[in-house]
Amino acid sequence: MTIRMRIIIAAIIQAAIICVISIFGYLSFNTILSKLRTIEIIDDLNISLLEIRKSEKNYFLYSDVNALKEVVGRGKEIDKVVQSSKKEILKGLGPKTYNVLGTNLSKYLELAQKVISTGKTPPHFGEEFRTLGHELTRLSEVLLKRERTDVNNRIQNSIFMLIISLSAVFLFQLVVWQYFFHFIIKELAIMGNLIQMASQGKLHEVAKQTISPKNELDDAIKALADMARELEKREAVLLQSEKLASLGILISGVAHELGNPLNNISLMAQGYLSLYDILGDGEKKNFMADILTQTDRISKIINNLLDFSRQKKQELIEIEPGNLIEKSITLVSNQLKITNVKLHKYIEPDLRPIYVDAPQIEQVLVNLFINAIQAMPEGGDLTVNVGQEVENGYLIIKVKDTGLGISKEDLLHIFDPFFTTKGTKGTGLGLSVSYGIIRQHHGDIAVESEEGKGTTFTLKIPIYQPKEKEEDAQADRSH
Amino acid sequence: MPKQIVVIDDEKIVCNMVQRILTQEGYEVETFTDSTQALNRIREKEFDLVITDLKMENIDGMDILKEVNQLYPEAKVIMLTAYATLDAAIDAIRERIFDFFPKPVKIEELKKSVKKALGS
Repeated sequence: MTIRMRIIIAAIIQAAIICVISIFGYLSFNTILSKLRTIEIIDDLNISLLEIRKSEKNYFLYSDVNALKEVVGRGKEIDKVVQSSKKEILKGLGPKTYNVLGTNLSKYLELAQKVISTGKTPPHFGEEFRTLGHELTRLSEVLLKRERTDVNNRIQNSIFMLIISLSAVFLFQLVVWQYFFHFIIKELAIMGNLIQMASQGKLHEVAKQTISPKNELDDAIKALADMARELEKREAVLLQSEKLASLGILISGVAHELGNPLNNISLMAQGYLSLYDILGDGEKKNFMADILTQTDRISKIINNLLDFSRQKKQELIEIEPGNLIEKSITLVSNQLKITNVKLHKYIEPDLRPIYVDAPQIEQVLVNLFINAIQAMPEGGDLTVNVGQEVENGYLIIKVKDTGLGISKEDLLHIFDPFFTTKGTKGTGLGLSVSYGIIRQHHGDIAVESEEGKGTTFTLKIPIYQPKEKEEDAQADRSH
Repeated sequence: MPKQIVVIDDEKIVCNMVQRILTQEGYEVETFTDSTQALNRIREKEFDLVITDLKMENIDGMDILKEVNQLYPEAKVIMLTAYATLDAAIDAIRERIFDFFPKPVKIEELKKSVKKALGS
């Protein structure tokens, strides 16, 4: 289910809960409101009854008929109220008590009316009249008390229900958000991990992620893996095109390098022909053997170049750094000859092996050598120093030239893609690609330069630790 | 007395072949694959003709040319090179070169040039 759907469902459930609470609240407050109205009526009724009782008392104290008339007048008003608010009073008292109230009121008024119209007080009138009046006020007080208690209870219940429902909403929110946080954070952690790997240049690891998208975050993870695959492809193309650019520079040197063995073959063949008559069989054989040696030499030069130019799948191997460096130097040896650059190499003995993609490191070295040679158009010294910092676990390769140097401003951009100080002659990708390759090998590349004096590039490549490799492999398997 | 020739080239085959051919022609030929040793020998002994490669490991052909011109103004220098560029040829001409052969060298042309240089 997509995250969008999950959020919508959670929101709908929450809205439903809030609706139910609101409806309940509305109904409950409505009831309370109508109860309050009833209380108001009953309260009025009660006050009126008390007034009647006051007139009743006056009648008995002063035997004033007018007081009785007041009783009847007010009594009729009360009767009207009792009739018109029948519904409210019925709710409060129930039909039985309501009838008692109505009957008592009628009887009470009838008695008063009789005394007024006859002018005589029947026997037991005082007692009966007082009893009825008392009963009426008692009923109305009972009614008032009951209604007040009822409203009180209802308000208390409403408050209780409100607290309960708000707590339920809060709990629901807590659970829902906890779920979303947990779910989203889990996926974000996967994504963060992948992005970190990508930033460390482990595009291959990221590209390996296969996921069937179930939600938006899965989509993003899949897009990340797709992007890594695409970047990997582009990177391979970039690496290859940069290699071909280096090759373009190497080729002039190689063409010259081929000149010597070709000349040797040519000389041997010409000598063979012109000396044919005086050469002994053994000498003739030697001539042919020499020619074959020279053709082997040509093959080797061409193979070296082909080997360098070929696009290879990335593959880490354990390799002696000395061999790697010698091979890279061979590739530029003729460039050195053409340009009057003298090579000085100091390779420490007993170097520990490194675990690298050899052609890629070769590419970096060739690139640094070409840069150094190009920085010395009038010739100079190219010094290659190879050592190791065993305690830090690094192989250190220093490539130093005595060339033009790089300005402080340019140094800041030296590893930026498309930045070049060679004008149209450079692609501006050489050092940027080299930087990428070295970072991918968990190494480092640094530069120091002084204008007019020369430049030194320092490469740091981790020394091969067999244990680490096993751990890596285990980590890979567990992924 | 036969004319004295010295051949200097990193490539042993070039030294051997040129020596063989020119000996056949009646010259006395010494060869060196190490240019430093060659220069030392030139300082000791005057040769009529120096045949040298341009690009070499230690001392290059231009330095030998300059030294020969300084020591023996009469001596001739023929240069062979696999790195034949116009600039290199112009530099060599400025330093009074007798002839300049890009590799691969044609033996017959080299023989002619040697003959011309030595005036025989």
